Amino acid sequence: MLYVVLFFLIFSLYLYVVLGGADYGAGIIELFSSEENQKITKKTIYRVMGPVWEANHIWIIILIVILWIAFPAYYNIMVIHLHIPITIVLLGVTLRGVAFVFRHYDAIIDNSQQLYDTMFKVSSLVTPIFLGMVFGALISGEIMVVEDASTLSFYEAFIRPWCNIFSVLVGLFFAALCAFLSSVLLIGESEGGNENIYIRKSTIAAIVVFVVGLVTFGYGYFSGNIFVLDFIKDPFTMILVVFSAVLLFPLWKTIKNGNKVWSRFFAGLQVFLILLAALISHFPNIIITKTGSISLMDNIAPDAVINVLGITLIIGGTVILPGLFHLLKSFKMIKILERNSTSN
Amino acid sequence: MENLDAARLQMAFTLIFHIVFACIGMVMPFFMVVSHYKWLKTRDQIYLTLTKSWQKGVAIFFVTGAVSGTALSFELGLLWPEFMKHAGPIIGMPFSLEGAAFFVEAIALGFYLYGWNKLPEKFHWFTGIIIGVSGVASGILVVAANGWMNAPSGFDYIDGKFLNIDPIQAMLNPAWFTQALHMTLAAFTATGFAVAGIHAYQVYKKRKVELHKKAFKIAITFGAIAAILQPISGDISAKDIAVRQPVKLAAMEAHYNTEKGAPLYIGGIVDTETQEVKYKIELPKMLSFLAFGDFDAEVKGLNDFPEDEHPNVAIVHYAFQIMVGIGSLLLLAGILYFISLKRKKWFDNRKYWLLFVILAPLGFIALEAGWIVTEVGRQPWIIHKIMRTKDAVTPMPGIVFSFYMYVAVYLTLSIAVTWLMLRQIKVLNRSNH
Repeated sequence: MLYVVLFFLIFSLYLYVVLGGADYGAGIIELFSSEENQKITKKTIYRVMGPVWEANHIWIIILIVILWIAFPAYYNIMVIHLHIPITIVLLGVTLRGVAFVFRHYDAIIDNSQQLYDTMFKVSSLVTPIFLGMVFGALISGEIMVVEDASTLSFYEAFIRPWCNIFSVLVGLFFAALCAFLSSVLLIGESEGGNENIYIRKSTIAAIVVFVVGLVTFGYGYFSGNIFVLDFIKDPFTMILVVFSAVLLFPLWKTIKNGNKVWSRFFAGLQVFLILLAALISHFPNIIITKTGSISLMDNIAPDAVINVLGITLIIGGTVILPGLFHLLKSFKMIKILERNSTSN
Repeated sequence: MENLDAARLQMAFTLIFHIVFACIGMVMPFFMVVSHYKWLKTRDQIYLTLTKSWQKGVAIFFVTGAVSGTALSFELGLLWPEFMKHAGPIIGMPFSLEGAAFFVEAIALGFYLYGWNKLPEKFHWFTGIIIGVSGVASGILVVAANGWMNAPSGFDYIDGKFLNIDPIQAMLNPAWFTQALHMTLAAFTATGFAVAGIHAYQVYKKRKVELHKKAFKIAITFGAIAAILQPISGDISAKDIAVRQPVKLAAMEAHYNTEKGAPLYIGGIVDTETQEVKYKIELPKMLSFLAFGDFDAEVKGLNDFPEDEHPNVAIVHYAFQIMVGIGSLLLLAGILYFISLKRKKWFDNRKYWLLFVILAPLGFIALEAGWIVTEVGRQPWIIHKIMRTKDAVTPMPGIVFSFYMYVAVYLTLSIAVTWLMLRQIKVLNRSNH
């Protein structure tokens, strides 16, 4: 059952990164668009994200609930030392969700739209950066775990773990990844020759992802980050990363041919490979502290808990996944498939 | 401000807001599907207008409820890491099921909101039912987790360790049913009266009278039935608490000394120094009867328990009085509504509508007061008799700043949502129906 729980943990992490990430990315794209393109993007986002965005963001709740039920000791370190960035993420999630609904459900369209738009765009950028910083913090080697946190200074215990160059770089990398995913998604959803806007955006985003990724690795390597050193040493993870980079070519080709389903598949696969590489290189020691590393498998909840959780997840999954698939299919895929078949 | 106090205030504050958003998001779908059903049956355009207007309300409250709920799911750990470290695995079951129910709700909402003219009519309507049912299921599951804090079960507590964990027994703890029943009825009462009150105001102001009367009837029917049933659930809860949490019961009644045939105090001002309740109405032997069904039963007083296990008696007592007082008032109002169905003349009387306008916020005040009784009444424990709240709080200092931030954000959010609702009504009144 432990493996079922682990599967769902990684599965919801992946889905959150891809679906939630594309969702954040949409706001980032809108932020970095000209005024005219912003209007087009706003409309497209509403059409594409409207029915599904809430579902996209529930994955993080599933993720966090699995963490606290099955891996309480691990969760404990996160919520104590990363209190501040997690709070900022929550603030971002709140403002962003509210702004999205306000701008589409306000009965009267007037100047307040500008406020909603700004709230939506800015929080779309800030939230994934801090989320990425949380990921970065876990592997930065800056977290100090001691019996009594009051023996450390406030800076050592609650600021340095996440407020360091490496974590910030990971944050930027994650935000760029979101923008990349979203632009690939939006290519397939734009209408009336607007595809080119998003093709351009996806190219820029891909370059940013590549450059920031390289800088992050470079910095990690030269500053002796254990995670990065292990990552590079492990041939298997390097193969995954290279493979992910190679996928840019078929991705580019499918985008040019207007094959929306395959282009999304390739973009999703790339993210999956990157995530897999990151997980594999250090699994299960996912928290790297100043003094060593903490395994996800340390202090696991008792078997009875894991078993019940596993069964719940299987049942929940069989109810939810078909429904979710149907939702996506009803509003997204059908449209794409129809358009593909008519254009052929 | 002490870190512990700041953390408790932040938790209380965010919960107070989340409860309002979540209750409306959970109950309004039922109003919406009733109106939708009437539209499908009668093809009366008014019902369609009303359904579409309510669905926007549902969408706005679902999202505010969802994001404040997401924040809460993290806050549990951020503010109370020691609690979550031990309690997380034990009460994870209702939370993981709640996640699933919530997911189903979000999927159904996606279908419902975007399904007009795209999905088959009946299936579309049915997705509305799923929103409501999974919303109520979410609510019950979360309350079950809270029930565990009041009635911890499903583990053995040996030498400070939680052993032999049984997550299912923990979920089905002795308090889950009484609390879930009381809360579900409260949600229907509060939302029913609140929504009905808003529409009553429009009738009072003579705007779109026909539409708002229809809306009022749907909402108040739910509210009135729940309000009439609530005393039964209240009685079950009181009898349960009398046995399981005698300190809480004593605090609710400001009952200091153990006695047989204990009187019930209504209202009054608590003086914790002299342990007296001044200016109260006293009903002899009623507390014994209400708590144990026997006029001469012994009711334990606060002085029978160590002082460091007492909650804040004044707060708990006042909150309890407010809850019961408003509950009784809404019960009468519920009966009044059903009488008015026979006396159609009343509907032409403006005072009738004014009455329901005044009642609009009361349900939610009672509901919040009830949660204050439950939560403050359990103090100083976070897990009854197992873990103290002060031992669960985060070691990170300066929580007070995060508290101020949440106050600022949630207050702004509430003002914004209220403003948005006013704009909804404005547009509704301008519509053709």
